[in-house]
Amino acid sequence: MGLDMAKYRRIFLEEAADHLGEISHSLLQLEKELASVDAIDTIFRMAHSIKSMAASLGYDSVADLAHRMEDRMEHVRTAGRVRSQGELALLFRCLETLEAMVEAVASEQDPPLAEEALLAELAEEPDGGGDLTQAAQAAQEAQTERSAPTPDSPERVGGEPKKARS
Amino acid sequence: MARVLIADDASFMRQMIREIIEPEGHEVVGEATNGIEAVDLYNELSPDLVTMDIVMPKRSGIDAVKAILAEHPTATVVMCSALGQETLVMEALQAGAKDFIVKPFKPESVVATLAKVIEKGD
Repeated sequence: MGLDMAKYRRIFLEEAADHLGEISHSLLQLEKELASVDAIDTIFRMAHSIKSMAASLGYDSVADLAHRMEDRMEHVRTAGRVRSQGELALLFRCLETLEAMVEAVASEQDPPLAEEALLAELAEEPDGGGDLTQAAQAAQEAQTERSAPTPDSPERVGGEPKKARS
Repeated sequence: MARVLIADDASFMRQMIREIIEPEGHEVVGEATNGIEAVDLYNELSPDLVTMDIVMPKRSGIDAVKAILAEHPTATVVMCSALGQETLVMEALQAGAKDFIVKPFKPESVVATLAKVIEKGD
């Protein structure tokens, strides 16, 4: 049973362009509001859809990056917000890389591999590790217990990100 | 042969399923692009079988399959899943979905799965 893969490549290029446009729009929305539920959900679904289409066509590097972006967005969805400007910047880098990959497909070239550094960062815990909101609350409670509260609770707790998951 | 409703927000996937199953004699009676449409079209068209994507806008495929089965306990729904969705597939099967097919689709596997659930439903 043979499918007309040239036809699906054309559809992929059309739909991927739309999806990347929606991701771009949603990331700009997240710049204004890190907890935008609509933007978070849209990016998750668009990454998922790009992953499925790319996997169907054998564009493994595209499918792999989209899958990792989808996984990251699942964590964002669970947290209810993008947890730092660093995480938002990481998502913008994913978008740029996916755009370059789709451009390569449009030029009838093999899509390039994503940079190892990008893939490694996607696999890391968010900046400071764990849920920043919970961490900030815990730090504030600890300060309260020491009876020397400060007006500003820390936005970021911890220094270096955790090591990448295996 | 079955009258099939395809529910998937991606035109790419809807066309691929259609191209795989129509040569087998199945008739695609409708296409839904989100979970709300899937439920509405099921009620309108009474298809023999639904292929239901999990990740869709407005209402997820999981919610849609639960809604369809609540109204139509004998409905035959096959979930379309992707890598990393094992937990959601289990939830759908526990809710009453009959089986699942995995993206990227292997045409032979899709045809065999549909044939299996249609045979069981007869």
